Amino acid sequence: MLFPQLLDKLISETTSLSLPGFSVELCLSATIVAMLMMRLVNLDRFVPTSVTAVLGAFAALVFTWLQFRQIGAADAIVSQKIFTGLLIHDTFTVFFRAFLSLFLLLTIALTSLTGIPDNEDGPDFYSLLFGATIGLMIMASANSLLMLFVGVEMASVPSYAMVGFLKGRKPSSEAALKFVVYGAGAAGVMLYGISLIAGVLGTVDMSLLAARLGEAAAGGTGGLSDPELRAVSLGILLVMVGLAFKLSLVPFHFWCPDAFEGASAEVAGFLSVASKAGAFGLLVRLALALSGAPGTESLMIAFGVGIGFIACVTTTFGNLAAYSQTNLKRLLAYSTIAHAGYMVMAVSALLVMSNSVQAAAMQIDINRTVEGLLYYLFVYLFMNLGAFAVVAIARNHTFSEEVDSFKGLVGQSPTLCIVMLICMFSLVGMPPFGGFVGKLMIFASAFKAGDIHWFMYVVVAFGALNTVFSLVYYIRVLKTMFMDERPADARPVPVHLGSLESIYVVALAAFVLLLGLLPQFLSATAGAAAQSLAKF
Amino acid sequence: MVGETLRNLLMIAWLLPLAGFAVEIFGGFWGSRKSRVAAWMSVGCIGVGFLCSLSALLIWGNSNNFWKVTHDSEHHAEAGHAEAGHAEAGHAEAGHAEAGTDQHKSPDSVASSAASVVLGKTVFSGTLYSLARFGSLDISLDYYIDSLTLVMFTMVTFIATCIHLFAMGYMSEELTEEFVDHSAHLSNGHHVHRPGRYYRFFAFLSLFCFSMLGLVLAGNIFQVFIFWELVGICSFLLIGFYTERKSACNAANKAFIMNRVGDFGFLIGLMVLWTFFGTFRFGNTVDAKGEVVQAGLFQMLPRDETGNVLRDAASGDVKLGAVTAAPESPSSRTIPYSLLVVAGLGVFAGCVGKSAQFPLQTWLPDAMEGPTPVSALVHSATMVAAGVYLVGRFYPMFVQEVLLTIAYVGCITLFMAATIAMVATDIKKVLAYSTISQLGYMMLGLGVFGWGAGLFHLITHAFFKSLMFLCSGSVIYGCHHEQEMPKMGGLWRKMPITAFTMLVGVIAISGLAIPGLVNWCSVFAFSGYFSKDAVVATSLAFVKGNPTHFLLFIVPLVTAGLTAFYMFRLWFFTFAGKPRDQHIHDHCHESPWIMTGPLLALSVFAAFCAIGGETGPLYRLITGDQPAHVAHGIAGAVGSGELTLPGHEAIHAVHGTAGTLALIAAASGTFIAWLLYGTTLVNVAEIKRQLSGLHGFLANKWHFDELYDGLFMQPSHVVGQCCVWIDKTVFDGIIHASAKVMIFVSKWDKLFDEAVVDGFVNLLGNSTFAVGRSLRVIQTGRLRQYVMFIVVGVVALFAILFTTFPG
Repeated sequence: MLFPQLLDKLISETTSLSLPGFSVELCLSATIVAMLMMRLVNLDRFVPTSVTAVLGAFAALVFTWLQFRQIGAADAIVSQKIFTGLLIHDTFTVFFRAFLSLFLLLTIALTSLTGIPDNEDGPDFYSLLFGATIGLMIMASANSLLMLFVGVEMASVPSYAMVGFLKGRKPSSEAALKFVVYGAGAAGVMLYGISLIAGVLGTVDMSLLAARLGEAAAGGTGGLSDPELRAVSLGILLVMVGLAFKLSLVPFHFWCPDAFEGASAEVAGFLSVASKAGAFGLLVRLALALSGAPGTESLMIAFGVGIGFIACVTTTFGNLAAYSQTNLKRLLAYSTIAHAGYMVMAVSALLVMSNSVQAAAMQIDINRTVEGLLYYLFVYLFMNLGAFAVVAIARNHTFSEEVDSFKGLVGQSPTLCIVMLICMFSLVGMPPFGGFVGKLMIFASAFKAGDIHWFMYVVVAFGALNTVFSLVYYIRVLKTMFMDERPADARPVPVHLGSLESIYVVALAAFVLLLGLLPQFLSATAGAAAQSLAKF
Repeated sequence: MVGETLRNLLMIAWLLPLAGFAVEIFGGFWGSRKSRVAAWMSVGCIGVGFLCSLSALLIWGNSNNFWKVTHDSEHHAEAGHAEAGHAEAGHAEAGHAEAGTDQHKSPDSVASSAASVVLGKTVFSGTLYSLARFGSLDISLDYYIDSLTLVMFTMVTFIATCIHLFAMGYMSEELTEEFVDHSAHLSNGHHVHRPGRYYRFFAFLSLFCFSMLGLVLAGNIFQVFIFWELVGICSFLLIGFYTERKSACNAANKAFIMNRVGDFGFLIGLMVLWTFFGTFRFGNTVDAKGEVVQAGLFQMLPRDETGNVLRDAASGDVKLGAVTAAPESPSSRTIPYSLLVVAGLGVFAGCVGKSAQFPLQTWLPDAMEGPTPVSALVHSATMVAAGVYLVGRFYPMFVQEVLLTIAYVGCITLFMAATIAMVATDIKKVLAYSTISQLGYMMLGLGVFGWGAGLFHLITHAFFKSLMFLCSGSVIYGCHHEQEMPKMGGLWRKMPITAFTMLVGVIAISGLAIPGLVNWCSVFAFSGYFSKDAVVATSLAFVKGNPTHFLLFIVPLVTAGLTAFYMFRLWFFTFAGKPRDQHIHDHCHESPWIMTGPLLALSVFAAFCAIGGETGPLYRLITGDQPAHVAHGIAGAVGSGELTLPGHEAIHAVHGTAGTLALIAAASGTFIAWLLYGTTLVNVAEIKRQLSGLHGFLANKWHFDELYDGLFMQPSHVVGQCCVWIDKTVFDGIIHASAKVMIFVSKWDKLFDEAVVDGFVNLLGNSTFAVGRSLRVIQTGRLRQYVMFIVVGVVALFAILFTTFPG
């Protein structure tokens, strides 16, 4: 093929396929440009930047809705490689775009309610937020190891800046610094892993990984004595360590409590939900890309079991460490770690099931696993953001995020307390709240995977046990809020039922309840997204 | 059309009091205790109900050309009745066209009404609201409107309106924040002080009116049972209105429990009916197309052309003429004749309880503990008459054995109650026994096949007895709650209107008449004469056909004399003669207009409602839709032991004789009463002393209370004490022993629990908490250490992978 022809093909492919498939990210990018331009010409004095940001996020949401319609209109489940195979555009991607756009919208709403950042810093903050979101979207749609790294970094770098955004506060700067250094270390490890994989297998295209892995394993024992496999295994391990940093899995979680404590509650909420979601999207894609290569099944099952082990350690560690926390954001940071553990159980089950001999027969269960993970992520969005929002709103009145500052809050703003109650009970996983359904789906998948490997039963047992553990510290917060006497010198928190803050948190709590009562409301969409990843 | 109009009017009259009740009971509770609003609301509801009922009655009459039948000669009317009977016989065959929400005239009755002799042969029935469905059992609120329903509605609403007005005056003492009940004492001897309950009284009255009207409107026997219980609970609430008085509480309990005895029978009857008939509805059930889905009870019981129940010759079972369109349901149900008797007796047992017939009569006199307007409305005019009404309503289902039982029960009751009334001294007790006696007359009338006569007496009695009760209420109110007649006397000067209206009532109930006074009517008399005359005449005709049952005529005849005696005794005692207690006499006063007004209104009706007797409008209204087989009577086969039940012609033949005899009895009773109590010629105390045995027997109400006490109360006490003993020694012993063992075990268990289980749990909790705290130590906050952990973590994971995964 001649170069001009190649160029023509590339141009036509880019304009007709890639750019429409990338429209959401483009929209967010345009918003960033618009926000910065507006400041340049002082337009932001007339139109608050948060309004521009809300409009941009809303437009992104509309674009995802259009993509959903376009994908839903096609008869077959569309799975399209865009930008010459760097990214992949399918229902799974669109689901994550929708998730992230919605979360972006909610976060902007929260920040404009709580007033962080002020109007002066608005364009900076929202640009960082939008940039991180684009990075997360790229993570969820990556089809190349290169894009994997680009996405992770693109999501991470703005996060570092956001953590340190409260410039005057020393803990904030300290947290940002720790986050940066730790993140840099993790990125280095991951990049090393990528280069190992790419070097041995000769490709960075994730859709080819399984086939190349099969070729590499052909003729060998399928064990680690094969040097190629050994190198690839090390590479996979290192990439996963990089992702474990993003997911704050034990033992790569050290940045998380410090960063959360130093960052504002709004940023902490963003980090705990959005960056997890992107990382999970990427992890699922990577896990499925490596699965199913003939000759490496037992190795991959070992990886799955290993992830299951990590999951057990992570949940147990997160829950137990949360016991003695006195800072509510720190407590929620450990809770975040524990929940990452629950969710990673689904990935573990996914790896175990899709590398088993009866993987084709278990396709429905595999789909359900992904569906459960997506459902959990969605519920987690609402319940965790709800909890962080309550913390942020109360902080604006009490100037404190300590658990003690919430003593007897129910007498002053019952709405906040009841929303907190709903969110926390949902985090524990009590019916009829959404957290119960999500947990149930993930545990069911892990239990199903127990047919393949006995260790998955242990994982389920740990999950159940940890649910009990987690009860203690959530209930302790609720007890402080509902049953303790409010100290006389405590600052009042007058948040009335009709105020915007109340409406915001009540809406979040309503979604938590809705997802608990009507699971089919979302699970069909999540199921469709899971379906688009199906191999069989 | 007509049926829908009637239904709507009666529904308004029925449901308004319910709405009133709801508003009054809550509004009154939160409102002022001194407000009369509840009373006016209550009066308004029932008053509008009366207007609706009256217009319904007029509409019914117009649609049936009722008013065109003028007072022809008696003979002509009798011929009309005979013809009506024919129409009825045809009507049974055309029965499937009868029910439905619309008017269904059978063809021949339309033709007959053109001839302007036949009265309304039109029954409207249908379903108002379906409550529930259990299998094939449909529980619904139905209506069944015929002339009896309409007359009862009008009577109940009119009397209730009068009594509501009267009660506004009578209960006015309750219009206070602090009412002192002089009849109720606290343990320290003080009187009970409580807030007034004016509103509550009227709320209960409204609830009662709703229940009573619902009972009358009911279109199925189960619905009757529902409202039957509802009027029972209203009666309970109203008898126990002065709930602080022990006597009132006891009376309320007694009334309720005695009624449950009867209701037990009622339930048995319902079960038999449901099992064998498969429906509770009186009328046919029709579907949207007007086809009969399920025949009503009244249509299923087959009777031959003479009115006898058709029986299978071989088995003696009764084959039910099930008119049903549904093919799968058995078209030929049968019921053993004996169970038909059981069903009838069961339903009648309920009526015995409600209408205070022998042997369940003892609750009614005690029920006089309630306020006097309640006695007038609930315990004389309406609720207690519900038993009689139900016998009348359910008449087509009664076979002759049941009818004979009804007749004898009525006969015993009327005599017994009358004798007790002769010696009672409490003015309300006399009236209560008189009520029981008159209810006995009604039952007797129905039992001896005088369907019209019994119900006729029901209506007239309602008027004059409610009048007399209100009069007695006026006396009690005037005398500051003195009820003992021996302390009264000579009151007619003080309260002339009460005395006069009471006299009207007394004459009415005694059945006095002046023969041949007016041309167009053979006798001039008040209502009671006509209706009692009808009952006595029917029983005479019955006795002529069945000489073995001669008592059924002799006893009511004698009792007619007793009735006149004790009623005039009451009047003379109270109003005539010299004051016996000067203190009471001095403070006594005539009641205000709001109380005397209803008295005058009721006295007009008590006097003249039955004008014209059995050719008069009231009787013809009642019998407009009488059961098919009543008019002709039933001739029993000779020597078969079957009863001969008199038809209208047979009754008419003996009417003159019976009327004369009854009049003589009543006149002599009146005379003796005058002799003993109106004059000073005879020393009453001397007679009392000489007949002290008899007097004591009567004054103790034939020792029924003692009898029941001995028969039921004492044995149950003994059984109860046995049970207590067994409970205390045996069961409690076992339980105590086991409890001791349990305590012993649990003491050890506690030790184990505290040492081992709690220790374990605490250890677990402490250790997890300690782990949690120690995990904090790792989080040093030192960046250098964190980065070290990345390296250590990666190396450790890789080491684990290599060591655990086989090469």
